[in-house]
Amino acid sequence: MHTYLEAIREGIWEEMERDPAVFCIGEDIGVYGGAFKVTEGFIHHFGSDRVIDTPIAEAAIVSAAFGASLTGMRPVAEFQFMDFISCAHNQIVNMVAKSNYRWNAPAPLVLRGPSGGGVSGGPFHSQNPETTYAHTPGLKVICPATAHDAKGLIKSAIRDNNPCLFFEHKFLYRRIKEELPAGDYTVEIGKARTHREGRDVSVITYAAMVYVAQEAAEILAKEGIELEIVDLRTIAPLDREEIANTAKKTNRVIILHEDHKTGGIAGEIAAIINELAFDDLDAPIVRIAALDTPVPFSPPLEKFFLPKVEDVVREARRLRSY
Amino acid sequence: MKAKLNKAREKSASPAERSHSGTHSANGAGTKFKSGEPIRFNSHGIPDYRLEVPDFHTVEEWVDGEFRYKVEGDLSVEPPPLRDSKYLNKEQTIDIYRYMLLNRKMEQTLENLFKQQKVVGGVYLGLGQEGCSCASAYGLREGDWIGPMIRNQGALLVRGFKPRDVMMQYMAKSGAPTGGRDAGSHFGDKHKHHIAAPISMLGDLIPVLAGVALGARMQGKNIACLTWVGDGGQSTGPTYEGFNFAAVQKLGVILIVENNLWAYSTPVDRQVACRDLADRAIGYGVPGFIVDGTDPNQVYDVTYEAAQRAYAGEGATLIEAKMMRMRGHAMHDAAAYVPKDYFEYWKKRDPIVRMEKYLLEKRWLSEKENTALIAAVQKQIDEDRDFADASPYPEGSTAGERVFCDNAVEIGFGYGKPKFKKSDKQRAAKSTGAVHLS
Repeated sequence: MHTYLEAIREGIWEEMERDPAVFCIGEDIGVYGGAFKVTEGFIHHFGSDRVIDTPIAEAAIVSAAFGASLTGMRPVAEFQFMDFISCAHNQIVNMVAKSNYRWNAPAPLVLRGPSGGGVSGGPFHSQNPETTYAHTPGLKVICPATAHDAKGLIKSAIRDNNPCLFFEHKFLYRRIKEELPAGDYTVEIGKARTHREGRDVSVITYAAMVYVAQEAAEILAKEGIELEIVDLRTIAPLDREEIANTAKKTNRVIILHEDHKTGGIAGEIAAIINELAFDDLDAPIVRIAALDTPVPFSPPLEKFFLPKVEDVVREARRLRSY
Repeated sequence: MKAKLNKAREKSASPAERSHSGTHSANGAGTKFKSGEPIRFNSHGIPDYRLEVPDFHTVEEWVDGEFRYKVEGDLSVEPPPLRDSKYLNKEQTIDIYRYMLLNRKMEQTLENLFKQQKVVGGVYLGLGQEGCSCASAYGLREGDWIGPMIRNQGALLVRGFKPRDVMMQYMAKSGAPTGGRDAGSHFGDKHKHHIAAPISMLGDLIPVLAGVALGARMQGKNIACLTWVGDGGQSTGPTYEGFNFAAVQKLGVILIVENNLWAYSTPVDRQVACRDLADRAIGYGVPGFIVDGTDPNQVYDVTYEAAQRAYAGEGATLIEAKMMRMRGHAMHDAAAYVPKDYFEYWKKRDPIVRMEKYLLEKRWLSEKENTALIAAVQKQIDEDRDFADASPYPEGSTAGERVFCDNAVEIGFGYGKPKFKKSDKQRAAKSTGAVHLS
C-alpha cells in the first residue's frame, strides 16, 4: 500500500534513478527530508549535489531551477508550502512560462509542493493558488487526487519538456492509501478521469474535493440520485472534451473546487460547457467553492470556509428536481 | 534650500573614510596619472582599480519653485589614460575597440531608424557604457554564459550575434532572434552563443545564471556566468536572492554592477546609502572589485580574473563598474534631470575616445588604420541596416505557435551527461517521519 505522499516520493525517486538530468532543489529537503518528508532519505542515496538545500529564497529556487534546465537538467523544485509560490510569481510567469515562446528555450522543470486546507494551516499554509497559473500561458498545472495519479503524473511532469506546476494536496498526503501498479507507469497530463459513473448529475472537480463529492454521492445514491464524478487531474490544460462529454451525458453540472469562487477555474469550466454543450443542459450550472475570504485558521471558521458534503448534496437534489 | 541626499552617510563616515576621501583631492586638476599605478583599496578594503577617484555628489536644490538636482564637487579634472591591461595583447585590444565601435554605430543607426519610425517601441542606448559591456564579455571563453541587460548590446555582439539581429529585434521583424515575439535586447540563444534572454524585471537573470552554472557543474564543468545589473536594478530582491545563492553554492557567477549614476531619473544617491556598491561583496562573502567602467582594460582584467576563479571552482565575484549613462533611459527621455556638469565630466571619459587615444599613443594603431577600421565598421552596420530594413514582418497568424515545447523534442545536455557520486548502500524510497499540519 502507498499513501499519496509515498506515491509522489517514489515517483521522483524512480525518475532520479532513471534519468541523471533529474535533481531536487528546495528548502530543508536534504537531511531533514522536507517539511512533509516527501524527499526523506533522498540525500543519503543521491548526495547533496543532487538534493540541494537552498537559502530561504523562492525566487532564487525557481530561477536557479530554470537556469539549470537551460543546460538540459530536469529540476524538481519544492515549495515548502504552495502559498510561497507568490514569492516566485514573477520568475514563474515572466521568466519561466514565456521562455519557449520568446526565445525557443524550453524549461523542463517541475515546481511542486503542498497546497490546500482542512488542516488549520491558516491563511499562509492552506491556499490553493493553482488557477492563477492556469491563467498563465506556457505552464501546465497538475492537481492529483489519488496516489495512482500522483505518482503517474509526477513522472509525466518530470519527463515533460515544459514547466509543470504540481499542486499536492496536504490533506491527502497520509489519508489516501492505495495499491499501486508494479513498475514504471505514467499518467498523461491534460486528461480527466471519471472517478464515479452516474446518470443524474455531474460533479466536475479535482484534488481533495473529489472525496467530498464521493461522500455526497454515497448519500445521494440512497435517494436514487446517481452522481457522476469527473476528476480533472490537471487544470491546465483542461480536458475540454471530457468536460463536454459529462455535461452531455447528465445534462446537469456542479463544478466543485476548494479555491475561492471568484476567478476560480469553475468559471472557466462553466464557459467551456456553455461553448460546447449549451443545448444539452437541463439546468443552470452550479459552482460550489470556498468563500472569497482568506483561509481562516480556527477549525470552525475553516470548516465554514471550505465546501462541504452537504453543499453538494443540497445542490444535487435541487438540480435533479429543476 | 539645499540638502545632501547622502546626509546620513556623510555623518556616519568613519575617520578612515574621511581621510580616504581626503586623498581624492590629491587627484585634482594637474595630477599626473600613470597607467602602471598600483591599485588602491577603499575604506572597506575593496580593491579599486581606478586611476582617479572622483569625489562628487548629487544634491537637491529648490530654486524659484523648481526642484532639481545639482552636482557638488570638482568636475573639472581631466581624465587619466587607460590603465595597461595585464593580459590583453595588441590584437585583442584592437578587437575590443572594434566591438565598441560596432556597438556605438549600431546604436546610432538604431536612433536614426527610430527617428524614421522604423523601430517599434523604444530604443535603449548604452552610450558611454560600450567599454564595460564589450570588454567584460570579451573576458570569457567559449562555453561560458552571459545574461545581458538592456545596455549590454555590445556584449551580444562580442558573443556572436550580428548587428542585424539586434536591429531586426528593434524593428520587430520575422528574421529577428525572437521572430518579433519580444523587443530590443530581449533575446538569447541556448545552443551557440550561450546567452540567457533578459526579461524587463531587473536582477532576475542573476539567479538564472547561477542555475546555469549549477547545471554545468553537475555535468562536470565549471563555467563562468557573466551578468550585469544597474545601480537601480541591484535594489531588487532577486538580485540578493540570486547572488547569495551563487555565493553559497560557490558558483562562477560574475556580477557586474554597472553604476551609471541614474536609474531612469533617480540618482544613485536615492538608490543606496553606501559609497561603493562593491562593498556589498563583503556581505555576500565573495571577492569584490571597483573599476572605472569607461576603461575597457580595467574591466577586461577584473572580468578575466573572475572567470579564472570560476573555472577553478572558487565561486562568484562582484564587480562595480563606475560610469555614466550618457542619454536618457530610452529615446523618449531627454534626461533633463541630469545636471549638465555631469555630462561634461563624463563626455571627457567617453570609452571610445579614451580607447582610440590609447591605441594611437601606443602606436598599436596608426591614424590611417584607425580610419580604415572605422570605415569598415560603418560599412558592416550599413549593410546590416539594409538587410534588417528589407526583411519582412512575421505572419500575424503565427502568434499562437510555440507556447509549449513539443515533447518529441530531445533536450540534450549542454556539457555532457551528469556524473553524480552515489551512496554505496542500495536504498529505496521510504520513510516514517513525523510532520506537522497532517
